[in-house]
Amino acid sequence: MNTSSNGYVLGFAIGVCVIISAALALTSAALKDTQDAAAEFDRQKNVMMAAGQLQAGDTRSRQELEQAYKDNVREVLIDTETGKEATDRKVEDRAKMSEADQKRYRMLAIAKGADGKPEAYVLPISGKGLWSTLYGYLALGADATTIKGLTFYKHGETPGLGGECENPEWTAKWVGKSILDGDKLVGIVVKKGTVDPAVPFEKAHMVDGLSGATITCNGINKFVKSDLKAFDTFLGPIRKK
Amino acid sequence: MTATTTPPVAKTSPLFGPDELKVIKDPLWDNNPIALQVLGICSALAVTTRLDKALVMGIGVTFVTSIANVLISCLRNFIPNKIRIIVQLVVVSGVVIVFDQILKAYMYDLSKQLSVFVGLIITNCIVMGRLEAYAMGNPPWRSFLDGIGNGLGYMWILAVVGAIREIFGSGSLLGFKVVPQALYDAGYVNNGLMVLAPGAFVLLGIIVWVQRSISGYSEK
Repeated sequence: MNTSSNGYVLGFAIGVCVIISAALALTSAALKDTQDAAAEFDRQKNVMMAAGQLQAGDTRSRQELEQAYKDNVREVLIDTETGKEATDRKVEDRAKMSEADQKRYRMLAIAKGADGKPEAYVLPISGKGLWSTLYGYLALGADATTIKGLTFYKHGETPGLGGECENPEWTAKWVGKSILDGDKLVGIVVKKGTVDPAVPFEKAHMVDGLSGATITCNGINKFVKSDLKAFDTFLGPIRKK
Repeated sequence: MTATTTPPVAKTSPLFGPDELKVIKDPLWDNNPIALQVLGICSALAVTTRLDKALVMGIGVTFVTSIANVLISCLRNFIPNKIRIIVQLVVVSGVVIVFDQILKAYMYDLSKQLSVFVGLIITNCIVMGRLEAYAMGNPPWRSFLDGIGNGLGYMWILAVVGAIREIFGSGSLLGFKVVPQALYDAGYVNNGLMVLAPGAFVLLGIIVWVQRSISGYSEK
């Protein structure tokens, strides 16, 4: 057979592409459930990590961690307009809601401490960075004011630059910062450069920027603040207690 | 006819004859893809901060090289010469994506840490190099062994670099602490250079040097 005729080349190319894509589609479909379960487990781990209930290097098995999540973390749906738990809707149905409703009804995870009292309020945060939407969790302590932890579990930023937002060394810098200046919600500001500890405002509300990731940091500033604002109706009463 | 004097023609070569063994052993030492051919350096620098990452990456490249070698070797007589590189790339990409999907399903954490580097196996020169240099001209079984050999040759160097970087950079091995706390108390600190890319550069250079001086290879 003349393997250099145009017809053969074209046919061969199409054949290879069709067969390979079919094989890939098959693998993807076969592994979908396992992958989704792994991603969900990763999300739960991130909630616990933000809440300070899980440290890197934990040797507990996946089953034990899933059980710990079930025991200590309660996911509730908050109606951000009233600031109360939404009783007529369920957390699981949130993905199916309309966009406006998703903005109004938000998931919040409450992590219990050993004494059974809420130890951390874990807020899902998400928004645009440079290339992608970042997804993460921001945990506030029992006073609903001090940062307890931060994790990003999904993003498509440049590894080594914007991707450093998930670096534990960087997220550790957020811990202990306060989102309130007096009564005013200031959120957390990622500064371009390093924080000057001599300036009280910077020390209390700002963290060092990531070099080479200005746009990612600006994005983080924006969505952290807007997400905190959205939960203000719920968190406000807790602070007053 | 003196049929008795001519040895029986071995139409099917043995599974593990001396030739086959050589195909596997050669890339491990004498013709190592990293130390001698200096291929696949990019990923060798990027994913060797920890031993487990280096091992998974090594397994990935071994998997991809061997499977892609077999597929291309089976197709070698049908692939039109004009588009052979494209066909090789399509096959390699397919195998890499399958590996990436498996990682995502069963080793989610590692797949997140390896991030782009699994996808970048597609452009790893070792894979394309073996396809073009070996699989296009040899039968499937030997091509498979050649893929395994080259993958392992790549893996052991990565493992050595990964182990040294993890021990001196983070004081642990496979996530377990190996540097005793007493040493830290005495003022020992982890070497920050080892966690960064320049540390890998230096180490890899030393390994290539040692390997070449032992194997007696010299650039002509």
